[in-house]
Amino acid sequence: MMKNAFAAVCAVSLLSAGAASANSLVAPGAHSGVAKSSIATTSTGEWNKLSRTDGPGVEVWTRDGDSLNKVSFFGGIGGGLPIYRERNKKEAPLPKVTANMLLPDIPVLLESTYRSQYQVNKFSLESQDIVTIEGKQAIRFTYSFVRSDDEVERKGEAIGSIVKGKLFMVTYEAPAIYFFDKDLQDFRKMAETLKF
Amino acid sequence: MSFCRRFSAVLPGIAALALAGAAHAVEPAAPVLPTYTAAYQPQTKDERGIWMEADEDERVLRDSVLLMRDEGLNAYVRQVLCREVGEDRCRSVRLYIVEVPQFNASMAPNGTMRVWTGLLLRVQNEAELASVLGHEFAHFELRHSLAGIKARRDAASLAAWIGVLSAGAANIGTGGAGNGSTLQLAVLGNYFKFSREQETAADLLGLQYMAKSPYDPAAASQIWQSIMAEADARSVARGLKPGREYKAAFFGTHPPSPERAAYLKAEADKLGKRGELRAQEYREAIRPFLPRLLAAQIRSNDFGGSEYLLQTLSATEGWTGDLLFARGELFRQRGNPRDLVTAADLFRDAIAKGYANPEAHRELGLSLMRGGQEADGKAALREYLKLKPDANDGNVIKMLVGS
Ligand SMILES: [Zn+2]
Repeated sequence: MMKNAFAAVCAVSLLSAGAASANSLVAPGAHSGVAKSSIATTSTGEWNKLSRTDGPGVEVWTRDGDSLNKVSFFGGIGGGLPIYRERNKKEAPLPKVTANMLLPDIPVLLESTYRSQYQVNKFSLESQDIVTIEGKQAIRFTYSFVRSDDEVERKGEAIGSIVKGKLFMVTYEAPAIYFFDKDLQDFRKMAETLKF
Repeated sequence: MSFCRRFSAVLPGIAALALAGAAHAVEPAAPVLPTYTAAYQPQTKDERGIWMEADEDERVLRDSVLLMRDEGLNAYVRQVLCREVGEDRCRSVRLYIVEVPQFNASMAPNGTMRVWTGLLLRVQNEAELASVLGHEFAHFELRHSLAGIKARRDAASLAAWIGVLSAGAANIGTGGAGNGSTLQLAVLGNYFKFSREQETAADLLGLQYMAKSPYDPAAASQIWQSIMAEADARSVARGLKPGREYKAAFFGTHPPSPERAAYLKAEADKLGKRGELRAQEYREAIRPFLPRLLAAQIRSNDFGGSEYLLQTLSATEGWTGDLLFARGELFRQRGNPRDLVTAADLFRDAIAKGYANPEAHRELGLSLMRGGQEADGKAALREYLKLKPDANDGNVIKMLVGS
């Protein structure tokens, strides 16, 4: 099973490599204006910024293809908006950000969005804690989930906050086998230098 | 039409029904079941091909993280199937419960039956469950998947279908290049688009199983009525016209329709038999899994459909703590100011009814705080921390309480 899942992910990643030419390199160092917002961070090592956008307020970085490792920046999604572009607004609307959301509502919004957008039928929120970003409180949470398209168990780690009624969030997700641990430390360094 | 010729001897009236719909009178259903061939083996090259595929799928399915492996639950659902189709037929089935919140069941030609948890949430009693499982078994007994192999749809169609039912999975593969759909059909079940004749044949053979079973044949029509009502409630809540989902055949393999519900009722009436529904037994068996099934439904962002389901469930045994809690979650997630007030009331009701899950206090507290009632909200959150001192979100809640 593990082998199968692994092969499935790798097959997907080959596909994404085909489109990699349109993506752009993210060099190590300080970055600002991430996801066309006030998000700033300092990265170590190289990443690729996907040219594909999953929504107007989303920017995705990856190393080996976004099915293998994926850092998503959500740059100030306003009240009444979904975090991703809705593929079928009428029949399949996504949950919306609300300005009065509390920190514990953020993981719920992510889960509910994933269940709809990615046909995720298994999602578990594993830990939640408080961190401070520039003196403002944010929620840091870890989770795992399985999408119905490849049945690969993925782990995620995220930091989110509501700033002036808008959602700011950064997530790191990768298959639980091998990939998650591979880039976790690099993600954590980025998270430590994060500004919303 | 060759199909109709082949089976009309076994099931009188199918051809007439399939061609003319329910408007025309049909012969009474035959009182005896066709002889069942146990341990059937594939006969042709095509058939051997789909069996091999089904065997391979079953190996993947057995390892799936989406399987509900609880022995008691599996044994119970199997027992309902066995009561419906009889022990002989039942022996050829290997049943798997897959955790997907939509309404579906399917059966592969090698005897693999997949039951989605969304079906378990939606049927009201054993008889309704039996009628759906019996219908799937009828497709198997009539070997429709072989006839339908050319009409089999791909993963994209399945994704589009479940996407419509829950939300936007129509372009599910986001693995980089927007590479279409790669849904795990091995786990979810292959998606055969049966012809209308095949559907009618499976419905009628299903009714014959019911006639022989302890169950009430009226359930076969009833389940489709509720599925349509739920679809209407979902549409209305989304500001869409009721009836669009099933009229537009979004339901994929098993489109509900007023005609279908009507002819099932007419045929069931002709059997002149009243059987058991076993609603109470069903509720008892599902109860331990209900919170999990409800949680998945509530988080599917389908307010109208979820509210309809909760109202229906409460009609059987009243507003239990589980149902009140789930309804509170539904309103809290929608999160309009009035919803937060409703949610808080529902969580309070659940607590008053002795609902022991500490989460009720957490959700009450969060609803109140979000609705601007800080003091009451903090008190509820403190209660949560007291009841669950090792909560994995302890630090987050403590921050909200301000301690
Ligand atoms: Zn059918």
